[in-house]
Amino acid sequence: MSRERELDQMIEKLLAEPEYQGHPLHAALERLHQQNIERLDRLERIARISDGYQSLAREQNLSLSERYQKQLRKLEKVARISDRYQQMMRDLNLALQEASNRDPLTSLANRRMLIERLKEEVGRAVRLKQPFVLAMVDVDHFKQVNDTWGHDIGDRMLEEIARVLQAEIRAYDLCGRWGGEEFLILLPDTHLSDVAPVIERVRCGLESLSVRVSTETLSVSASFGVAEHRPGESYSQTLNRADAALLDAKRAGRNRCVFASEPAEPELSPIRAAD
Amino acid sequence: MNTSELNIPSTQSTPAIQGDWQTGILAMQGDSYPENSFELFDQVIQWVERYLNDEARPLKLELTLLYLNTSSIKAMMDIFDLLEDAHQQGRSVSVNWHYDNRNERVAELAEEFREDCTFDFSILAFEE
Repeated sequence: MSRERELDQMIEKLLAEPEYQGHPLHAALERLHQQNIERLDRLERIARISDGYQSLAREQNLSLSERYQKQLRKLEKVARISDRYQQMMRDLNLALQEASNRDPLTSLANRRMLIERLKEEVGRAVRLKQPFVLAMVDVDHFKQVNDTWGHDIGDRMLEEIARVLQAEIRAYDLCGRWGGEEFLILLPDTHLSDVAPVIERVRCGLESLSVRVSTETLSVSASFGVAEHRPGESYSQTLNRADAALLDAKRAGRNRCVFASEPAEPELSPIRAAD
Repeated sequence: MNTSELNIPSTQSTPAIQGDWQTGILAMQGDSYPENSFELFDQVIQWVERYLNDEARPLKLELTLLYLNTSSIKAMMDIFDLLEDAHQQGRSVSVNWHYDNRNERVAELAEEFREDCTFDFSILAFEE
């Protein structure tokens, strides 16, 4: 039993004694005791209310933190999904870019990609004085294949030709389909004097290509016009010279390569004239 | 003009959205990357809330969404939260997320959305 309770009982006992009734201290003690009980009661009420508030605040805090955690999880999920969408778009972009640079039939570089690379090579030629060589390749009498066997066989031939070209060039050369049965080989960091073996390898590769069509075996050959880029020249000027050499190869009987000769006196371009 | 119908035509950056009150079908098709997706999806969210509140019939979402920007993802998750709450209260709600079978990654993203949903959520491939 607590000492407070002991005191209460003691006082109650004294107040109940008949012999103390009427004593001047009796009334005072009775009032003091009453006051004590009321104060205790109030104190307990205050504690109860205070506890209530505290637990309410605690609950609120818990639900707030729960809501915060939930929002946080949601946010993380939004970010995760968003990242994946962006990655998907990036990959689609790359695929699209790849598709826009490839010839759909042969999977070789298309004209757009070739021109991009030609511009880059001209830039390198200007900055680093690095030469490059262009080889224009035209399949001989290809129209006859299409006319005789139809376009499906013609397309099959082109695919085979592309495969041979790709296999015979060097790893750092770029071969693309310029259009129709015309292909362009870009040989970077190379002089005209170095390309003969490569071109000969490609020419022989095409010569020994045979495509079976039912009972027939079709073979092809190609003519080559080769030119080295000259300082100050635009890529289309080099291309024109390669084209002219190709025409010479055709006129000389096809299935051969003609190198665009270095002109005896290089034309003075405006840039060169200035320095 | 029935105000219960939702019919938002597609734009370059927003999907086409149709809410059919009679059949209880909400459909969306296309890409979604608007500058202000709140403006767009607020009407959709309101339509879903109104339908779930006013009608006891099932609600079905038919989604053919391809690209979603971040705020559109948030809006879709809010819509799925509404559906989840309705489902917890015993309502019949379902989602069919359709994707082009040439782009499996859209299916993977739909799976991410489905993760926290306990209602019927199907991811269906279609062929072009």
